[in-house]
Amino acid sequence: MIRVNNLCKTVVTGGQQLDILKGISFEIKAGESVAIVGASGAGKSTLLGLLAGLDNASSGDIYLHGENISVMDEDQRAALRARHVGFVFQSFQLLPGMTALENVMLPLELAGRPDPVGEAKQYLDKVGLAERGGHYPRVLSGGEQQRVALARAFAVEPDILFADEPTGNLDEHTGQRIVDLLFALNSQSQTTLVLVTHEMNLAERCDRILVMHDGQLREESVVSSAI
Amino acid sequence: MIVRGMRHLVRAWRGGELGLLGFSLALAVAIVSGIAGFSDRLSRGMEQQSHHFLAADRVLKTSRTVPDVWLSTAKDFGLRTAKLASFQSMVYAGDDAMQLASIKAVSDDYPLLGNVGVSVELFGAADMRSSGPKSGELWMDSRLYALLDLSVGGEAAVGEKSFVATQALISEPDQGNMNEMLAPRGMINFADLAATGVVQPGSLVRYRYLFAGTEEQLARFEQWLEPQLEEGQRWQDVRDGQPAMAATLKRAEGFLLLAASLGVALAGAAIALAARRYGERNTDNVAIMKALGASRRQVLSHYITQLTLLCAAAILVGGTAGYGLQWALFASLKEFISVDIPVASWRPLIVGAVTAFACTAVFAMPPVFALSKVSPLRVLRRSDEDSSAGLLASALIGVGGLGLLMWWYSDDVFMSAAVLLATLATGILASALVLFAISFARRSFLERAAGALRIALAAIYRRRVGNAFQVASFALSLMVLSSLGLLRTSLLEDWQLQLPADAPNHFLINIQSSEIAALASFFKQNALNDAGLFPMVRGRLTHIDGQKVSDIKDIEANSGGINRELNLSWAKDLPDDNSLVSGSWWPDLAPSNFAGGDIVPVSVELELAEKLHLKLGSALSFNIGGQELEAQVSSIRRLDWSSMRPNFYFMFPPQSLEVYAGSYITSFYLPADKKALLSDLLRQFPTLTLIEIDGVILQMKAVVSQVSTAIGLVLVLIVVCALLVGVANVLASLDSRLHENAILRTLGASKKLIIRGLLLEFAAVGLLSGLIAAVGSNIALSVLQYWVLDMDVTLHASVFVFAPVIGVLTMCSLAWLLCRQLVTQPPLVVLRQTR
Repeated sequence: MIRVNNLCKTVVTGGQQLDILKGISFEIKAGESVAIVGASGAGKSTLLGLLAGLDNASSGDIYLHGENISVMDEDQRAALRARHVGFVFQSFQLLPGMTALENVMLPLELAGRPDPVGEAKQYLDKVGLAERGGHYPRVLSGGEQQRVALARAFAVEPDILFADEPTGNLDEHTGQRIVDLLFALNSQSQTTLVLVTHEMNLAERCDRILVMHDGQLREESVVSSAI
Repeated sequence: MIVRGMRHLVRAWRGGELGLLGFSLALAVAIVSGIAGFSDRLSRGMEQQSHHFLAADRVLKTSRTVPDVWLSTAKDFGLRTAKLASFQSMVYAGDDAMQLASIKAVSDDYPLLGNVGVSVELFGAADMRSSGPKSGELWMDSRLYALLDLSVGGEAAVGEKSFVATQALISEPDQGNMNEMLAPRGMINFADLAATGVVQPGSLVRYRYLFAGTEEQLARFEQWLEPQLEEGQRWQDVRDGQPAMAATLKRAEGFLLLAASLGVALAGAAIALAARRYGERNTDNVAIMKALGASRRQVLSHYITQLTLLCAAAILVGGTAGYGLQWALFASLKEFISVDIPVASWRPLIVGAVTAFACTAVFAMPPVFALSKVSPLRVLRRSDEDSSAGLLASALIGVGGLGLLMWWYSDDVFMSAAVLLATLATGILASALVLFAISFARRSFLERAAGALRIALAAIYRRRVGNAFQVASFALSLMVLSSLGLLRTSLLEDWQLQLPADAPNHFLINIQSSEIAALASFFKQNALNDAGLFPMVRGRLTHIDGQKVSDIKDIEANSGGINRELNLSWAKDLPDDNSLVSGSWWPDLAPSNFAGGDIVPVSVELELAEKLHLKLGSALSFNIGGQELEAQVSSIRRLDWSSMRPNFYFMFPPQSLEVYAGSYITSFYLPADKKALLSDLLRQFPTLTLIEIDGVILQMKAVVSQVSTAIGLVLVLIVVCALLVGVANVLASLDSRLHENAILRTLGASKKLIIRGLLLEFAAVGLLSGLIAAVGSNIALSVLQYWVLDMDVTLHASVFVFAPVIGVLTMCSLAWLLCRQLVTQPPLVVLRQTR
C-alpha cells in the first residue's frame, strides 16, 4: 500500500541546511497498522506529511496505492488524498464555522459523493454523536471533537488513514476511548493505518512500530510477534 | 453548483468570517448607490430648477417668427412649448403719462418651468403664479407703476389696446437677461399682441420659443432642428444663458462626484481590510480542505463562488439600503429642497453593482488567490507565513482598480488621477513613515519602556506591516474627511464671498454725467452704497483680423450673443474683481489721447477671447453709433460673473471712447424693506433705467443653500465610510490580539495594563494617521482647488490640529468598543478558540 525508497527531506533555515529525513526506506502493506514513534524533532511529523503528500520530498520516492506521489504536483496529490486517504490530527482540525455534521460532510462533498448528508449522519452515529450533528466545534469537548474528526476521516472509507498524535490533546481516559474507537473503526473498514505518536502503549496496539531517531529509521519491530 | 455555493456561503456566514466583508461590501454599494443616486437626482433636480431661469429646458431665440411646423414637430416629439415676443413700446396711462417699457407678450403655456411672481402691492411680496396674464390684463413692474403714477387696478394702454393693470410684476423666471431689463417690464398675453398694433413688419421684436421635455425628447428635437437654424437663431440651455449659475452648478457637481469617488476609495479600503482578515481566518480552513483532498482549483472555485454570492447579496441589500438612503435624504431635506426631485433611475444601482464586483475583484480576490496557495502541511505544522507577502501587488491592484472606478464615476480623468495620486502618495508616505517611526521607537524606547508602554511598543513592532497598512488606510479616510470638510467650507466661503448679504441687487444705467453728483447725493441721503460708476458705450463688434464676424463660421456656433450691441467701457485701473491672464494693462500701453484713426488697445474677457479665438495682438473693428473704431487686443482678463457688479467683455483705456456719446452704469444694494425708495429714485431721475436683479440673487442663494445642505449630507456618508475603515482596521488585528492578550493575562497581566497598552497603541495609530492626513489633505486640496474646481489655493493649518485629534479619539473609541472582549473573555476560552 505504501512504499518508501531512500526518502530525504532537507530544509534551509537561517542560511543553514538542515537534514530532517536522511534516506528512509520501508514498506507498509494493505490493512496493516503501523506506528511511527520517536522523540520530538526526530522527523515523525515530517515523514507523515510526506507520506500523505502534504509536502514535497527533497529526494527519494513514495508510492501510495501504487502511484508515485513524488512526481505528482500538488493538485494530483490532493486528488489522490481525496480518493484514498483519511486524516486524524492532534488538534482535531475541525472547521470552526461548520457544524459537526458539516465537518463530516466536507470530504464527502470534495470526493463528489452523491449523499454526503446521509453518509455523514451514519458515521456520526458510529462515533456516538448522532445527536450533536448540529453543534459547532466550540461547544464540543475535546473528546467529542476528536470523535467528529474520526467520523470525518472514516466517512470517505479511505484505503489509508494517517493519524498524527490523535490523543495528544486529550486526557488519558478520553484518549483511551478515542484510541478504542479508532482501532474499532479501523478494523471494521480494514483501513491501512499510519499512526504518529510518542506514546508507546498506543504504538503497541499497532501491527508494527517504526522508531525514528535523528531523521533516520533506527528500528523496526513487529508488535504482534513481540506480544 | 449555485445551491452548493449557497450552502457554503451560509456556513461561512454562520461562522462569522464573512460578516465584516459582506457588511463592508453592502455598505459600499449602499453608499455608492446612495451618493450616486442622491447626487444624480439632486443635480438633475437642480438643473431642472436652474432651467426655471430659462422658464424652460431649452429656448430658441430668434428675431422673427419660426414656421408653425417647428412647433408642431416639437409637440410630435412630446415636448411642451410656449412662445413669447419682447419689444420696446410706450405704455400710456391717463391723459399725459407715458413711459418706454420692455413689453413681453407671453402665450398661455408660459412659463413652462418656474413661476411668475406678482403682487397687488408695489414692490410687495411675490405671490407665485404658474401662468402669465390673461387676455386683457397687463402686469407691470412696480417701477413702471411709479413712473406712470398709476395704481394696481388702473388702466393702461400699449399701442392701440387698453389693458387693466391687474398685478405688479415682482419676478419672472427668465428675468436673468440684463439686456431685456433695460426698460421696466410690462407683460401681456400673446393673444393681445396683434391688437396692440405695435408689431409691424420691420419692428424690432425678439421672439423666444420655449421647450420643455425629457432630455431624450429634447435631444431628438435638437437633432431635427439644428440643420434648419439660420443666422440670428440660437438654441440655448441654462449653461449658455446663465454663466454664474453654470459655474455654481459645475462646482457643486464636481464636489459631489469627488465625494462619491472618495467614498468608494474609503469603502475599498474597508473591503481590502475585511478581505485580508477573511483570508487570514480561512488559512487554516484551506489547509484542512487541502489535506482532505481539495485541489487548488476546488479551493479557488469554493471561495470565488462564495465571494460572488456574497457580492450578489451585498448588491441586493446595499442597493435597497442605498435607495432607502436616497429616500431618507430627500425626505429629511424636504423643507430645504424646493426643487422637484426626479424619480430614481437604475443607474445608481448599476453603479453600485459594478462597484461591488470591481471591489471584490480588486480587493477581495488577491487574498483568495493567496489562500489557494496555502500549504496543506499547515495541518501538521503551523508556520507563521508572511502575511505581508503579496501586499504590494494587492495594493497596486486595488489602487489601479480604484482609479478606473473613479474615472468611470466622474468621467474626469484629471480629477481621478489627482485623487489617485494623492491616495498613492498618502499610502506610500504613511507606510514609510510608520515603518521608520516604529523602528525608531523600538530602538529608542523599548528597552527603557515599562508597563503599558512596553506592551504597546511590542505590539506595534510585532504588527508593523499591518500597522503601516492600518495607518495608511485610516490616514486616507481622515484625509478624505478633512479634504471634503475643508473643501466644503472653501466652496461655501467662495460662494458667499461672491454673494455676500449686501451683494449689489440693482443696476442703474443711462446715468448722464450731469446726474452723477445728484445721484451720489441721493445715495448718501439714503445710506446706500454703490459699486462705483462705470462709463458705458453701446457698440457692435464687426470684424476680427479683417474678417466679418458674421462670416466666421466656427464663431457663430459658440459665441453666444456676440452679434448684438455690446456694452463697452473704459477704466484707468483694472477693476477689483478682474485679473489679468495675459498682456499688460495701461497706462504703459496707451497714449494719453487718441486721435481719430488710431488703433486703441482693448482688454478682452477670457472666455469670450477663447470663444472668438482672440489672442494678444488680434485686430478688432467696432461700430459705435455708426462710427468705426479700430482696436488691438492688448490684454486678456478673467472676471467673476457671479460678483453682481458691472462687468464688461471689452474694456478700453481712458480717452479712447469719450468721443462717443455714452452714459454710466452702477450697481447697488437695496434691502427689501427699502424697496419703496425706488419710486422716489425714479421720480427724481426719470431718465435713469433701473434693473432689479434681487430676484435673481435670491434664486442663486437658494441654489447655493441647497448645494450646501447636500454637501453636508454627503459628508455625513463619508464619515460613515471612514468609521467603517476604522472598524475594519481594529478588527483586522483582533484575532491575534485576542491570542496574545490571553497569554499575557495567563502570565498575570492586569486588565488595566492590557487596556492601557491597547489604547496607547491605537492612539499612536490615530496620531500618525492624523498627521499624515493633514499633510495629504493640504496637498490634495491645493491640486483640486487649482486645477479641478477653478478656485484660489489656500493652505489650511487648522487641519494639523483637528485631524490628529479626531484620529486619536476615533481609533481609541473604536479600540475600546471592539476590543473589550480582550479583557472580558476568559483567557482559557480564548486560547482554546484561537489554538
